[in-house]
Parts: sequence; C-alpha cells; structure tokens
Amino acid sequence: MEDIKAYIESGILELYVLGDVTQEEKLHVETMAAKHAAIKAELEEIGRAVEQYADEHAVEPSDELRNRVLNSLVTNLADDRTFTPQRDNEIDNVVPIRRADRSGFYKYAFAACFVLLIVSVVALINAYRKLNDSNTLIASLQNQNQRFSNTVSLKDSEIGVLRDPTFKMLRMKGTPKSPASALTVAWSPVKKKVWIDMATADMPANDKEHQYQLWALVGNKPVSLGVFNADTASKDMVEMEPTALADAFAVTLEPKGGSSSPTMSEMMVLGKF
Amino acid sequence: MARKRKISLSEEELVRALRNREKVAAEALYDMYSASLFGVISRIVTDTAEAEDVLQEVFVKIWNSFAAYSADKGRLFTWMVNIARNLAIDRIRSRDFKNQTKNQDLENTVNSIDEQRNTAYKPELLGIKELVETLKPEQKSILDLVYFKGYTHVEAADELGVPLGTIKTRLRMAIIQLRKYFN
Repeated sequence: MEDIKAYIESGILELYVLGDVTQEEKLHVETMAAKHAAIKAELEEIGRAVEQYADEHAVEPSDELRNRVLNSLVTNLADDRTFTPQRDNEIDNVVPIRRADRSGFYKYAFAACFVLLIVSVVALINAYRKLNDSNTLIASLQNQNQRFSNTVSLKDSEIGVLRDPTFKMLRMKGTPKSPASALTVAWSPVKKKVWIDMATADMPANDKEHQYQLWALVGNKPVSLGVFNADTASKDMVEMEPTALADAFAVTLEPKGGSSSPTMSEMMVLGKF
Repeated sequence: MARKRKISLSEEELVRALRNREKVAAEALYDMYSASLFGVISRIVTDTAEAEDVLQEVFVKIWNSFAAYSADKGRLFTWMVNIARNLAIDRIRSRDFKNQTKNQDLENTVNSIDEQRNTAYKPELLGIKELVETLKPEQKSILDLVYFKGYTHVEAADELGVPLGTIKTRLRMAIIQLRKYFN
C-alpha cells in the first residue's frame, strides 16, 4: 500500500492525465491502474478535476461551426457504412452537392411549370368552348339573316306586284264541285308574269298524292302554269309559270306533278276577265 | 445561445452511441464538449478561424478513431483533450502556420490573446473568480502552461526557471486544489 501511495504522490498520474508522459510511462500507468483500484480512482478524480477546470475556461466556438463539424462527421459516417469503391465515393461526394445546390430551384421551377401548364390547359378549354359557342351563334345568325333576306326579297316581290299597275287582280270563285273555294291570281300581260296569293286563298288542303294545277285558258285551249300546294300555314304569294295571253284562269286538282291536260271533273275554281 | 437546444447524454450513453456511430452521438459530442475543447485549442492556436479548423479536425479524429478509446484508460474528456492539444500543437508547428506568424512576437501574442479570451469566458460562470483565487499564481501558471498551452513539464520548468521536481509538486498541488474546489 505504501508503494501505491508513493506512486500516487509522485505526480506521474497528473502528468498522465495532462498527456505529458512518454509511451513507456503511459503503459506503466495503465498497467498500475488496471491492477490497483486506488490508482484507477485517483486517475478518475484527477481527470474529473481538470475536465471541470477546462469547462470553466470553455470558449464557445461560432454557431456556424456546429453544422460544419457535424456535416463532416456525417459525411464520414456515410463513407464508413457503404462499402463502395473509392471511385464511386468520389461520384457520390459530388452528385449530392450539386443536387443540394440546384434541387430547390428545379423543384420550384418544375412546380411553376406544372401550375402554368394546368392554368393554360384550363384557359384553352374555356377559349375553345367560347369559340364553339360563337361559331354556333354565328351560324344561327347567318341562317336567320338568310331567312330574313329571303323573306324581305319575297315581300319585295309581293309589294312589287301590288304596286305594278300592269298587274290585273282576278278573284277566282268556287265551282259547283267546291263552292266555298276561292283564289286570287295576279297577272301582268305586259311582263307575262303570274302570281297567286296564298294569304287570301281559300282552298282545301291537298293530300300527298295530289297537287293543285293552275291553267290559263287561251281561246278555249288550257295552258298549264304549274302546280302548287295549299295548306293553312302558307301565307305567301307564289310565282307561277309565265304567260302573255289568258282569257280565264282555272285550278284543277291533279295527281302529284300535274297533268298535261286538265281533269275537268276536278276543277276547283274558275275566273274570267 | 442562438441554438435552440443542446443535446446532453451521460458519459456511458455517449460512449455507447459513439461506438454505434449514431448521428445523435455526433451531435451530443459536439454540444457537450465543443466549448471546453475549443477553450484549450484557442489558447494554443490563437487565430480563431485556424482554431475552428483544428476543432473540426479534432472531432473528425475523435469520430473516426473512437474504437481506440477505452473507458479503462480514463475519462472520455481526458482522451479527447489530448487529441485536441496534440492537433493544435501540430498546427502551430506546421510550416504554413510558422510562415504565417513568423514576424509576430510570440510572447506578446500569447498575452494579448489571453486578454481577448478572458472576455469570451462563459460570463454565466460567476465562480470563476473564486476558482482563480483558489489556485496560487505559481500553481495556475504551471497548470495552464501544461494543460492549455501544451508544454511538457520539462519545457515548463525551463520556461519558468524552476526545478523539475518543484514543477511536478506544484502541478499535483494545483490539481488537488481543483479537486477540493469542485467537490
């Protein structure tokens, strides 16, 4: 025990803890410490005291250093745990740094592009729909316009007939076959034109197999001026085939498409000048 | 401190975690010991940026050669502070460092840096004045030379003009004073 006490008091343990011993001294102290619990306890006490002394003199390194140091440790950690060849390590060391530099930018750029794409597609679909609606509208307006202009030109012709002093108006009266019927015909011998007025017509509606046929009687000879249909919806004037001569006008009901000579038994109306 | 939370483990837990090379071990190691080790390093390597480089080297070496540490050989900090002191001394002895500082007066540098460092000591430790008074000036100067400046006791004897035996006795007395103080 005396030896141990003297060994402790020699100061070698302090020098050991302070790192100020030769390699042989170091091994000797470690051997002694392993053998004698008192020496081990003494070393522990000395170590604790100088540790606290160092702690009292601690200097905080800058805050940024923490990440720098930890990153270098974690990088080493990754290297130690993956048994890849050195060359791969170099590549591994380079690639993540590049990615770290740029990934943020590309991530946001990609997200922005994607959002733009979606917005554009939605806008395009909307525009396409509106364009379709507009086209439909234009088509229907054109259609309507055409109908208006047709109507206007028809009305123009009708008004022209009424205003033209060369036109003679003749109201054909019903025959015994159909006493209630009546039809107005307008004829201009000068212009050779013949119109019938469906607005004031009073003719029974024809079926699908039959049509009315207008005849001009020149002398005693009937001349066909064309066929027409009669129904309640029709309110326009209809231009028939031209004739320069006529003593009388008559309408017969004929098979569809008309006949070459009138069926006298089917005469509906007749008017003479 | 700007840092939100420092990680702290018991020495046994830390040693186990370091053996397993857990990430939390690296963080705890840094949080628990960086200031103490930096205190030692920056007394030897006076340039702050250089000292921080050395501190980084120290942690890398601790981390990579942790298998060499055994709890039988003493406290973890004792082992680490030896690594820190050796790397710091290597740094100032390296040719680059010598060239960089060859025109500076070493004595003046040491004094002025010590004055600077005093302002950086943990201000929350109000006991430090009491601690300084606990040690006699001659005890403190030897302890600081060997512990903080990395002098061998032979060099310290030379520097202070005191016999080797006296140096050893003063060192031992200084540490005994510390033990009393901290207990």
